[in-house]
Amino acid sequence: MGEAQVRVDEVPLGGTRWRVHDLALACCALEYAAASVRLKTARAGDSDAELARGLDLLAPGPEGADVLVVSGTVTDALAPSVLAIWERMRRSRHVISFGSCANSGGPYWDSYCVTKGVDQLLPVDVYVPGCPPRPEALLDGLAQLRRQLAGVES
Amino acid sequence: MTAEWAAQVGAVLGAEVHDDFGVARVDVAVAGWLGALRTARDELGCTFFDWLTAVDEVRDGYRLVCHVAIPPSKGARMRTLILRTLVSREEPAVPSVSGVFAGASWHEREVAEMFGVHFTDGAGVGGRLLLSADFEGHPLRKDFVLASRVAEPWPGAKEPGESDASLARQQAARGDAAASARRAPRRRSRPAGVPEPGEWGPRESGSPDPDPLAVASDRKPRRGGAL
Amino acid sequence: MSVPERSRGVIALIEDNCTSCMLCARECPSWCIHVDSHGVTEVPAEGGRPRTTAVLDRFAIDWSLCMYCGICVEVCPFDALEWAPAHAYAEQAVGALLHERERLADWLVE
Repeated sequence: MGEAQVRVDEVPLGGTRWRVHDLALACCALEYAAASVRLKTARAGDSDAELARGLDLLAPGPEGADVLVVSGTVTDALAPSVLAIWERMRRSRHVISFGSCANSGGPYWDSYCVTKGVDQLLPVDVYVPGCPPRPEALLDGLAQLRRQLAGVES
Repeated sequence: MTAEWAAQVGAVLGAEVHDDFGVARVDVAVAGWLGALRTARDELGCTFFDWLTAVDEVRDGYRLVCHVAIPPSKGARMRTLILRTLVSREEPAVPSVSGVFAGASWHEREVAEMFGVHFTDGAGVGGRLLLSADFEGHPLRKDFVLASRVAEPWPGAKEPGESDASLARQQAARGDAAASARRAPRRRSRPAGVPEPGEWGPRESGSPDPDPLAVASDRKPRRGGAL
Repeated sequence: MSVPERSRGVIALIEDNCTSCMLCARECPSWCIHVDSHGVTEVPAEGGRPRTTAVLDRFAIDWSLCMYCGICVEVCPFDALEWAPAHAYAEQAVGALLHERERLADWLVE
């Protein structure tokens, strides 16, 4: 009924600051960018300030990133490059599939050249639904992942 | 398309000029394709190459469509022109126009991959452009069936009052030859792009190969399906 | 984290309105709506003509495929589908993004 929308605020984000890298493939990347602007411009006392403390959404590359967010459609031709980027992350890494295309191929599920979900290539920890998902949905997905790793029941 | 522009195009290219939604359009024979584009650039002043693509016209072959323009300048508005030619399905070859417009090379590579049209005397840039290395077939041809849509059962195939279980029972019952002879199977709705069962895909051994033209012509949804 | 009331976050099912007409499942471009129903034949009154109605058994939407175009909401002749603003329903498993009728009814904002 709307209670799902408070999940983000529930999660304590104390501890290490997560570095998150966006694998920007298509339209979902714009929602990711909106989320990153939102956190970057959060001021102390904002509800977003806590999130901004716990998350750096602008990790410039997969090296040193804790989380890879796959934003957009994975085409068969680009699949090897997607895999190569994931392989450049360090051992302790997580993947968020962001948006319908990354989740399952989405509206392009029947295409001759689209991979039906990035989980055909990499292990995915959290799937964020939407086409595109709102920036708030990305933040919820990241909070969901943290909760998952902390062993907290959702 | 102004009358003046149409007259100018017609005179220079020596062809009939049509008005396609406000854009001047000229059809040329394959033999005159390269010459027409060179003439459009040099004598008509269409120095801007916009795009080149193809349409699968099924029985007529593949229609190459090229859009060029005179860029707007002070005192003169932009004038645009579409040139088209038809290549046969059996021998889809046409001279490359990358010598006239270097940028056409990318577009021609795309058409070659998507339609299987062969561009002769081109710069010969090799390698896949858009499709993955092991891709087989030419996806934008109308006889290229999206296998996923054939394999995946369409949720809209059911009528009100049916379920997946009842459909499965009907299909199992149809396996009973005697019952099938008595009762013709009801024609089902089909989504767009999915050929008749048996026309493409899994078939009984000994049955003929799918006819590409038949598959290409049969694209529309049957009865109630939209997409 | 609130969002505007009329945001298109998820689609809710008003079961009472659904007649299993299959229009949403047919028009969905992503093929992500699954509807199962069965026919029930009743004689409304003594000597009346038997009438068959479809009764909904299963209604499911696969959010991993959905492109949130809203064609299903628009095409439903009985207003059984409605937009709702909820957006935070990420899952660990992609299969969990297939919501059955109970969950779809829960999304409804009164």
